Amino acid sequence: MRYFPLVWAAIMRKPARAILTLLSVTIAFTLFGLMFGMTATFANVEARAHADRVFSGPRFGGTGMPSAMVRQIAALPGVKAVTGANYVGGYVQNPKQRSFVFMGDQQFAKVFPDWPPTPAQWQALYKVRNGILMSRIQAHMWHKKKGDTFTIVAPGQARADGSKTWTFQIVDIIGDMPQAIGGFNFGNYDYFDKSLKLADQGKVQEVDMQATDPTRSTELAALIDRTFASSASPTQSITEKMAYAVGNNFGGLDINAVMRDIALAGLFMILFLVSNGIAQSVRERFAEFATLKTIGFSDRSVMIMVALEAAFPCVVGGVLGVALATVLARLLPGMMPPGFGLPMPTMELWVFGLAALGAAAVALASATIPALRLRQMDIATALSGRT
Amino acid sequence: MSMFRQIWIVSVINFKSLRSRMWPSLVIVVGMACVIGVLLSMLSMIEGRNAAYKRTGDPMRALVVSDGAESEGQSTIPRDKARIIMDAPGIAKAADGSPLADPGMNAGIPVLRLNGTKAYNNLRGFGPKGVALRPEFHMVAGRMFRPGTRELIVGVSAHTQYQGMNIGDKVVLPDGEWPIVGSFTTGDLLDGQLIGDTETVMLAVRRKAYNSILARLQTYDSLATFKKALTTNPALSVSVERQSDWYKKINEGFATFLSIVIYGVGVIMAIGALFGCLNTMYAAVSVRGREIATLRALGYGAFPVAVSVILEAALLSVTGALIGAGYAWIVYDGVQSGFGQNVFHLSVSPALIGMAIIWAVVVALLGGLFPSIRAARRPVVEALRAT
Repeated sequence: MRYFPLVWAAIMRKPARAILTLLSVTIAFTLFGLMFGMTATFANVEARAHADRVFSGPRFGGTGMPSAMVRQIAALPGVKAVTGANYVGGYVQNPKQRSFVFMGDQQFAKVFPDWPPTPAQWQALYKVRNGILMSRIQAHMWHKKKGDTFTIVAPGQARADGSKTWTFQIVDIIGDMPQAIGGFNFGNYDYFDKSLKLADQGKVQEVDMQATDPTRSTELAALIDRTFASSASPTQSITEKMAYAVGNNFGGLDINAVMRDIALAGLFMILFLVSNGIAQSVRERFAEFATLKTIGFSDRSVMIMVALEAAFPCVVGGVLGVALATVLARLLPGMMPPGFGLPMPTMELWVFGLAALGAAAVALASATIPALRLRQMDIATALSGRT
Repeated sequence: MSMFRQIWIVSVINFKSLRSRMWPSLVIVVGMACVIGVLLSMLSMIEGRNAAYKRTGDPMRALVVSDGAESEGQSTIPRDKARIIMDAPGIAKAADGSPLADPGMNAGIPVLRLNGTKAYNNLRGFGPKGVALRPEFHMVAGRMFRPGTRELIVGVSAHTQYQGMNIGDKVVLPDGEWPIVGSFTTGDLLDGQLIGDTETVMLAVRRKAYNSILARLQTYDSLATFKKALTTNPALSVSVERQSDWYKKINEGFATFLSIVIYGVGVIMAIGALFGCLNTMYAAVSVRGREIATLRALGYGAFPVAVSVILEAALLSVTGALIGAGYAWIVYDGVQSGFGQNVFHLSVSPALIGMAIIWAVVVALLGGLFPSIRAARRPVVEALRAT
């Protein structure tokens, strides 16, 4: 700490340079924080996946599976609780504003006890036939509150009277889940099913279940697919762990590698900037350092001073940058257009740790060469100004 | 001496002295190279995807889907309706007088990517006119599937993304294994997909309705006739579009979403690079203070001096952008890639490189402006006296 006044004086020798370097480093670490914060979000989703859950859907697409399959799957060995669900998918007001309502039966809460609704909220939902539970993100998006109505136009899902407009009552506003990026709405399957033409009734788009033994959920998925392989509705089943795995999403893109490379490109950019700044600063003050050494400063203390000078923009910029990323992570959802499904970064502790490591690496890498030069300097030559 | 000649001379003097300011100047070059390298590498995916979607849609073909469908998979066209649609006016006729229109179907086939992650590939049905409608279709190896048999053909690019997509491989459908007997190319998105006989595949996946109808228009303007015939028929509830407009529409939402994210990252990085640029140019102006003052004393105007500073920033910035663009072009241009269900080539087009240069010029203008003003404004006498 006793070097601080000297280091501070060195930094403030060129305030414009100090500030611009700091700003540049701040930006690089904002990006760094956002990128790794996104990786943290994906990792959290993956970690939250329940090992005992299995999802089954129609293997070759089409108009859904008969709801009788829910009972058939329930009868298979190794199945604990089963639920069937469908969706109302469409738009709100204009076709660009997409939304959907997940229509589940009353077993849903048993299969997904970790989902946000409380038992009281589930009960409240069951009491209102056309009721929905709306998550906060959706409520914010459509400016809705408890008790409002919510209308979706679903071009592909005509009701019995031919109308494609679905109006729901918002029973309550519930919390969000990281895997449902744009929020979600939850309604009653029975209401959905009975609203359709008779010919369209009795179909589910997915059957979700809990395995009695979480270690055998993969086998259960395979068993279901085998059971229905040559039926009228072959299934494609996947464990929740697999469904939420980062590699199985993002269309085959290695999204974590992309994020990492972007963050590293940002660091590389400022590595060049910071090392240049520190090299220049040392060059300009070569005679000063010689003087310091003459009056008894050791090689070590001079090198520490250079390292501190390099560390200043990295540490301060790193802190500011990650702080800015944290603020942005909070503000961004509100700045997005409705239905813009961008996942938001989660600023986990390890993201801060990684940023600290990045800052230390940049500071160390940029201070090394100038510091070594100072150690090997010839004091007499430096003092005479013939560098 | 004319203004331009002054600018020219001052700039040449600048550029000649760049060597002595090599390291600080490299900050701009490296910064811009990072920004553009990251930006164009990411955009190569959107550019390639856009190009593939554009090639896939032919404006001389019309696609008919059920009202409100947002993908061919979501659409259903019952057989009796298909007959009406294909007999409508505006459709070109084959040599035998039959309409050049074909009922299509799409089924998602669960596949594994080469890296073992889960995905779906599109199995498309071709009816009797499927090939005649698509002059771009050519067999590459093996043979065409025989209508009525359980055989498939595969696009030439599918095997670059998915496992089991070569001639001789078998695809599991509900009624057993279907061998792949040939490979084809169309030069567009179909190159990543599987094709089978519409009726036979529908039987296998137990579909009763087609997904869509593709028709060749008699003339470019026949769309209006065709559309009118379909939309005024109360028995039909379909929408008609040029196939090119359809592909444009289904690509648009995702492409826009991804572009916003990518440009967001690019802008953040560019701001970081901008601070680096400001830093370097302020330093350059201060180092060259006496040189500039000498020029001013010799009668060179303030404006040429200022312009020369911006030109120097632009030279460095554009050099960096070209390095970054070169990197993206060498590493990504033309690389066979896939995203979601689409297989296509990444593309770093001349338009993208042009945009990169514009970004570089903008950063240089912003980063050079204030330093250039300082250079031009500094009193000559004071600058000459400064050490």
